[in-house]
Amino acid sequence: MSSHYEAPIREPLVLGEKSYHDITMDIVKPIEGKANKNWYIAFTIALIAFLWGVGCILYTIGTGIGVWGLNKNIGWAWDITNFVWWVGIGHAGTLISAVLLLFRQKWRMAINRSAEAMTIFAVFQAGLFPLIHMGRPWNGYWVLPIPNQFGSLWVNFNSPLLWDVFAISTYLSVSLVFWWTGLLPDFAMIRDRAVKPFQKKIYALLSFGWSGRAKDWQRFEEVSLVLAGLATPLVLSVHTIVSMDFATSINPGWHSTIFPPYFVAGAIFSGFAMVQTLLGIMRKVSNLESYITRLHVEYMNIVIMVTGGIVAVAYASEFFIAWYTGSPYENYTYMSIGAATGPYGWAFWSLILFNIAIPQLLWIQKVRRSFIMSFIISIAINIGMWFERFDIIAIVLSKGHLPSTWTRFEPTFVDVGVFVGTIGFFFVLFLLYARTFPVIAQAEVKTIMKSSGEHYKQLRDGKNEH
Amino acid sequence: MASNKKYWKSVEELNENSSIVASLEQNEFNEGQAPESFLGDKETLESSSTTRRDFLKYVGFTTAAASLVACEGPVVKSIPYVVKPEEITPGIANYYASTIADGFDFANVLVKTKEGRPIFILPNKEAKGTTNARVNASVLSLYDSLRLQGPKIKGNTASWSDVNGKITAQLEEISKSGEKIVFLTGTLASPSTDALIAEFSKKYNNVSHVVYDAISESAALDAFQEVYGERALPNYKLEDAKTIVSIGADFLGDWQGGGFEAAYAQGRDVKAGKFSRHIQFEANYSLTGANADKRVVLKPSEQSYALINLYNAITGENLPSKKTPGDAAIKQAATQLIKAGNKAVVITGIQDKNAQLIALAINNFLSSEILDVTNVKYTRAGNDTEVASLVTELKAGKVGALITYNTNPVYTLANAADFKAGLSKTKLTVGFSTKEDETLSEVQFALPIPSYLEAWGDVKITANQYSLTQPTIKPLFDTKQFQDCLLAWTGQTVSYYDYLAAFAKSEILGGASWNKTLHDGFAKVDVTSLNGNSIDAVNAAKALKAETKTGEFELTLFSSTALGDSQQANNPWLQELPDPLTRASWDNYLLMSQADADKLEFTNPVQDNGAINGQYATITVNGVKIENVPVLIQPGQAQGTIGLSYGYGKTKALKEEMKVGVNAYAVAFGGTQIASIVNTGEEHLFACEQLQHTIAGRHDILRETGLEDYIHGNAKEWNPRPEVSLKHESVDVTSVDLWEDHDRSIGHHFNLNIDLTSCTGCGSCVIACHAENNVPVVGKHEVRVGRDMHWLRIDRYYTSEGDAGSANKKINQASSIDQADVYVALETPEAINPQVAFQPIMCQHCNHAPCETVCPVAATSHGRQGQNQMAYNRCVGTRYCANNCPYRVRRFNWFKYNNNDEFDFNMNDDFGKMVLNPDVTVRSRGVMEKCSMCIQMTQATILQAKNEGRVIEANEFTTACSSACATGSIKFGDINNSEDEVTVLREDKRAYRLLEFIGTDNNVVYQTKIRNTNEA
Repeated sequence: MSSHYEAPIREPLVLGEKSYHDITMDIVKPIEGKANKNWYIAFTIALIAFLWGVGCILYTIGTGIGVWGLNKNIGWAWDITNFVWWVGIGHAGTLISAVLLLFRQKWRMAINRSAEAMTIFAVFQAGLFPLIHMGRPWNGYWVLPIPNQFGSLWVNFNSPLLWDVFAISTYLSVSLVFWWTGLLPDFAMIRDRAVKPFQKKIYALLSFGWSGRAKDWQRFEEVSLVLAGLATPLVLSVHTIVSMDFATSINPGWHSTIFPPYFVAGAIFSGFAMVQTLLGIMRKVSNLESYITRLHVEYMNIVIMVTGGIVAVAYASEFFIAWYTGSPYENYTYMSIGAATGPYGWAFWSLILFNIAIPQLLWIQKVRRSFIMSFIISIAINIGMWFERFDIIAIVLSKGHLPSTWTRFEPTFVDVGVFVGTIGFFFVLFLLYARTFPVIAQAEVKTIMKSSGEHYKQLRDGKNEH
Repeated sequence: MASNKKYWKSVEELNENSSIVASLEQNEFNEGQAPESFLGDKETLESSSTTRRDFLKYVGFTTAAASLVACEGPVVKSIPYVVKPEEITPGIANYYASTIADGFDFANVLVKTKEGRPIFILPNKEAKGTTNARVNASVLSLYDSLRLQGPKIKGNTASWSDVNGKITAQLEEISKSGEKIVFLTGTLASPSTDALIAEFSKKYNNVSHVVYDAISESAALDAFQEVYGERALPNYKLEDAKTIVSIGADFLGDWQGGGFEAAYAQGRDVKAGKFSRHIQFEANYSLTGANADKRVVLKPSEQSYALINLYNAITGENLPSKKTPGDAAIKQAATQLIKAGNKAVVITGIQDKNAQLIALAINNFLSSEILDVTNVKYTRAGNDTEVASLVTELKAGKVGALITYNTNPVYTLANAADFKAGLSKTKLTVGFSTKEDETLSEVQFALPIPSYLEAWGDVKITANQYSLTQPTIKPLFDTKQFQDCLLAWTGQTVSYYDYLAAFAKSEILGGASWNKTLHDGFAKVDVTSLNGNSIDAVNAAKALKAETKTGEFELTLFSSTALGDSQQANNPWLQELPDPLTRASWDNYLLMSQADADKLEFTNPVQDNGAINGQYATITVNGVKIENVPVLIQPGQAQGTIGLSYGYGKTKALKEEMKVGVNAYAVAFGGTQIASIVNTGEEHLFACEQLQHTIAGRHDILRETGLEDYIHGNAKEWNPRPEVSLKHESVDVTSVDLWEDHDRSIGHHFNLNIDLTSCTGCGSCVIACHAENNVPVVGKHEVRVGRDMHWLRIDRYYTSEGDAGSANKKINQASSIDQADVYVALETPEAINPQVAFQPIMCQHCNHAPCETVCPVAATSHGRQGQNQMAYNRCVGTRYCANNCPYRVRRFNWFKYNNNDEFDFNMNDDFGKMVLNPDVTVRSRGVMEKCSMCIQMTQATILQAKNEGRVIEANEFTTACSSACATGSIKFGDINNSEDEVTVLREDKRAYRLLEFIGTDNNVVYQTKIRNTNEA
């Protein structure tokens, strides 16, 4: 009936014709309301997994690293695999909040809060592994360049592990500050609504005295921009440095110059996959269907396709170069015929299947825009990326330079327990977050609401329900 | 003039009116206030202001303080000498020359003692002593907590005077009754003990002495006795040999007491311009076979025929024999033997007198100068016939008294049941041993003897050398030497030491000084050449042919490198020493060829944790069954033969962990054994240290070349320098470097040099390293899952199916898809008869070490003297260094290996801990450790030279491994000293460094292995 044709330039980012108040109500609902049964079930499972992990970690620290499946020739396996995996997962947060902010991608607003939360929680898990994988974790603080009375002892600035310490701690602190900055107006909103004095006090503390003055907003915008500028290099640096743990070493398969870009792409790939997984669940559980739309899912899938493509090309070039060298030492790197046909063939083919084959389905638009398919593919990528790190670490170490040192690795229940424990810990944090934090940056989302003309358009179209 | 200065004791004194001062002046011995004065007063007490809260505070504080004090670590008291023994300076090692002669291993050794404790055994090189792994490990057996700690009569503790009184009384009684008194001993080779037994025979009637070797060389002794009239073993001057043909003799192992490796290596020294040709015919893959230039696989039965065929080929005679698959090789061997003339020698290990006679006949025909019948060996003296008749007599109850010494027949006799039955029929049974072993648990008098490190003794290992054993520590337990007891029983009051000194002076040494002999550990004595009778080869061959039997599986029993005849089965170092060939430890197993294994469906699948499994077999020999023998497939095992090592399956006087393997003595009937095998299908878990048996096409790791190529070929071809591309041109790898070099111009710069030609793979360096560096033992399970702690290991590689012929071409030409097959071919050892090469690997002490850059806390760093150093107490245990070590020599302390009941080995035991080297830290859990190039030894050398105010001599520096190496394969020195051997060797055309293309600039240099491949 419309006499006026409106060109569909873009799909709307928020569905359901929400008013500002609707958004507020949607976001505060889980915080002000009571948790449902599903939340308690999920939380209990996560807590049990977490406690089991704590038990396994204490057992490891109390008895020795020997309770893991490592041996003299494979000094790292699940520990560093999990470390890199979690760091990788932690990558999407900064990318979404910083890089997309600089590029003014408004669609990030629906997902950035949770992506950043995921980042921070994932980095917690990641940070755990370098500490507990040490033979003497109680001396772990020796890796910090703090003045000490041990004589002239100082850290070794040549060691990529030390760079890791700096990279991860910088990343964690910048991410945390960035996240918190974004949270301030939202916390203030909850504070203003809170009726219970205790709750009010807590949120008042968390919101750092946000008053909502124009000056507050101006500073907020400025700080966000500055932090985005600071955080953007971190997107590249963290996984670059993590990759240098391998790239600067001399093991065939690790000693590879393409590792930094390849790892960064892989990290974004896995980070976005994890965001897909988490938001796929949250969207349903926290009734965020209006905010996390097919468009968001599609955009994220496109990022996954691009980074997944980079990763696939990296695999191919690793495979080719290993073969092309003609060096017998390169016959068994994680991307080689030796690996594909060797005892770790199953891990090799899992990687190919989950990381290369399955994500190709995203070329189909229907799949790309399907919530359930995206969810399934994101799970596959999470698994695939875990295998990537496992392959790089375990396969390479299992076939060192000297054939006499070739061996294999089998995880023990403690290896598994620690990994499961970190997943549990992650979800404990995430579930608590979902109940206490504004899971969507509502203040920002409100800025992209079409407020001015929408009401009159509806009047015109005779849909006036007021 | 009087001083008017006033000295005051307290400020109070300055107050002239102080009542306290006044009262103190009055009352010099002031009594304190009686407690009653304030506690007895109820009112004061009640008015005191300690509230409930204060009380709780005090309780809390004191409890906290008390528990904090309790947190202090356990106090271990160390007590200084009140009167310091003159020769002991704490921190300075003393060395004593001594000799080990336990009936199986004989060697001139030096014993290193620290603060009165022997902690290390090294060969006495002046006495031409060589030590094998067991001799090196014997120092730990001294501290074995399961040694018998005092005499026992019928299982009850007794005193020595009681024991000697009762035994003397009984002996006199038995002697009067005319019943037999028998000594059953292992090989003694001790002139003074022989003399004592002779004196004993004078006092008592009807005494006989039966010598019994658990692993017998009776056949060779019989043969030698028949020809030369003396019960001894011929010696071999292998250093001069041009051609050595061995038929079934593992002469680099324990054959006839061993000790030939040094001479063998001397005879294969390209620098000295000589290199013998060694052809080995054998069924099992022995250490000797692994070192041979050519190895021919023959069944035991075929070996007998091959020996006769060799005789025929050399002499042109036609003794009765049979054809064997090795005849072509025998013909070639004969040609080479004849060509070598009197520098040729034939050695056989066939346990048959006739075979030994034929071997002697061949050597005589060749007028071999290598066969040495002058300086004969006394390392084996057992007589199988006498032992057999003794057992018969025992069983028949015809023996009055049996005294065993240094032997464990209940464990080692195939007919142990008969022996045991006989023991119960014997009036007096006395056993001397260090352990309450299988035999000592059966005799009436179980008498503990000291270890050789606590005892006096004399040994004649070879005819021309008289060696002495001297105590290096006060006996740890209530032990007495066998000889002391003999003196007591013969009514003499002198101690064995006095007897020995007098005996040596009067009977052996002539004019030579006792003190000097004791100091040196040996003295040379005159020998006379033995004249041989003629040998009846025809009859010998006939008899040999008649005796040779064949069957489904021919079993060859052999002594394992680690445990030998089992005397040190409770020694965790030896249990954890991997077999040089199979690299399995903590086990014995049935060795079987791939073809037979396929037939009987035996496999050795690799598990996901990198461990190897196998199946149990039940083997039956002569109706005797051994159950649960795990089968390990041995490439190069002759088809239709099986091998099983002695030394395992002991049940008495050893810790639970050491009760591994099966007792092969149960089927040791002598001669060729015919066995049948049943696969039970049950699973066995092996502890094997090497999973990949071939070098997988990476031939630059272990370089090998033929003698001809070495002499005439171009070194660049057989020892190519690694090259890298720089500006599109190939340049030597060392010309490109990311690193700044350390300044090496001053001080020492240590280098290890390892000659792969002379390394026999014997493993004595591995044990020496354990002893010197307090390397922990981790047990079977941990070895199985790849967590052994060896700082020094000896890699073993078989040639692969892919190495042969055109396979190298195949790799290059294969398409990607076929490449997988080529890989498999390269990974699979040649099944029929692969060659073997050994490569000792320890920390390579890279000048540009990959481990050093990656440690976040700089716990591993570079030393001024070339070592890559490890600061244990700085290590946080990230294991990054181990991952980045291309040689994989770093070892991580996965658990706490000391004072931990989970690892109940020598470090969990107050006696076992006495072996620890005080110069080396015992590492804690969670830290990385590795070869230090024995920095404690090099520093000690430097300090000693400094104290003595002199320059360090050429080749003065040693490490544990270099001092233990019998063949001189491992050499250590300072390349800043141009006179050190290693300085020259570093530039040798054979020299290469492991994985040099990485650019690590190692301080360990290998010398290309050379084999004499000349067929003509």
